[in-house]
Amino acid sequence: MSIDQPDARGLVEIALKTFREVLLPAVPAEQRFPALMIANALSIAERELKGAAGPAEALRRLLGEEGDADTLSRRLCAAIDEGRFDGSAELRPVLWEITRARLVVSNPKYLQK
Amino acid sequence: MSMSGLINEETRPRLEAWLAEQLGATSVAVDDVSRLSGGAISENLALTLAVQGGRLDGRHAVVLRAAPPMEVSASLNKAQEFAVLRAAFAAGVAAPEPIVACEDKGLLGRAFYVMRRAEGVAAGFRVVKTDEPQRELARELGRQLGKLHYVRPSTPGLEFLPRPERGPALDAARLYREWAGEVAERDPVLAYGLRWLEVNAPPPGELVLCHRDYRTGNYLVKDGGLTAILDWEFAGWSDPMEDLGWFCARSWRFGRSDREAGGIADRADLYAGYEETAGRRVDPVRVAYWEASAYLRWAAIAIQQGCRHTSGTEPSLELALTGRMLPEIEHDLLLHLDSLEA
Repeated sequence: MSIDQPDARGLVEIALKTFREVLLPAVPAEQRFPALMIANALSIAERELKGAAGPAEALRRLLGEEGDADTLSRRLCAAIDEGRFDGSAELRPVLWEITRARLVVSNPKYLQK
Repeated sequence: MSMSGLINEETRPRLEAWLAEQLGATSVAVDDVSRLSGGAISENLALTLAVQGGRLDGRHAVVLRAAPPMEVSASLNKAQEFAVLRAAFAAGVAAPEPIVACEDKGLLGRAFYVMRRAEGVAAGFRVVKTDEPQRELARELGRQLGKLHYVRPSTPGLEFLPRPERGPALDAARLYREWAGEVAERDPVLAYGLRWLEVNAPPPGELVLCHRDYRTGNYLVKDGGLTAILDWEFAGWSDPMEDLGWFCARSWRFGRSDREAGGIADRADLYAGYEETAGRRVDPVRVAYWEASAYLRWAAIAIQQGCRHTSGTEPSLELALTGRMLPEIEHDLLLHLDSLEA
């Protein structure tokens, strides 16, 4: 955590709020697309900075191994490539869990569709 | 005088003289130049050609489509794209009429070609915005695809298009793996999808000319009717079911997930139109395979687009955000694979 406050998350949060409330309504039509992209990028960054629960636990259970999410993800990829999960019923729910965890950051609305 | 980067005081007279020569005209004036939106890869300019004499005497609304500053390896170059456009147009497909191509980069600084400009709206979110499903539009898009798929590898002028080595399905899977690069080594959903494509690849069948980006957003609609099919730079020989799978992927429904044919109507409408003209039946199992392949292809493209930003070669917020769409694409892939087992 930064000694100085607000931290990165706090700054992004208030920058996004100000952008949405003050600037966005005044943006001319031809600049609306980049403006919306800026709001989208900031909101992804804000959620990422909040730090969401990763899929590490599900990966540990599936592989029966210890390690952080990145290490375990790499091991799972290698196992999939080798065909060790061909026809497995246990893999799909874990893939969903990984995907949901990432969507919570990148686009939570997509999950409700 | 309206200007764009490509057409300026220096290049305009050169372009006009070259066009006059190519079209057998006394003179050609290039007017009303404006940049068209869309095209993450190519640069499109709308312009009017005022032609005096020759086979195109008169005023013509055209599009000048120029190569990107850096060529993208996955897509055809402009001369090849022009050849594909000619073949499609000759087959009776509603492609924009090709007029003339220029491979000489000395003229505008980049290769380009000129085609007739069609009217209409392309933007996917606008095309899908109707209360009732657009059944006739979907049917017509099916008919158009059926006509395109009559173009076969024996067609003169298309010899440059590579033929699949191990069959279209496995070749495609290998290509997506290559595009995904090291992401496939740390993203289990991607790894699983690629493995699924390899294990479930259908045996090679007949090869036809596929558009390979046939989807809502890449055709023009005016008053509810189809006016032109655009963006031919990914065309190649493949399984005819590839284009149908790509068209129906959730990624191109623009919020109308319930209308499985491109957000405009049911699959049945698209398929019926296809069977009217294609001379073959739709194979739903193969279409489903190619829909899975579509998600992996789009995922691999999104990774590449994100890399164009992240690597620093082309800083762009749009490319950066495309890179972050990967979880959405993988969500759609999982949904599709689940549906195949249901």
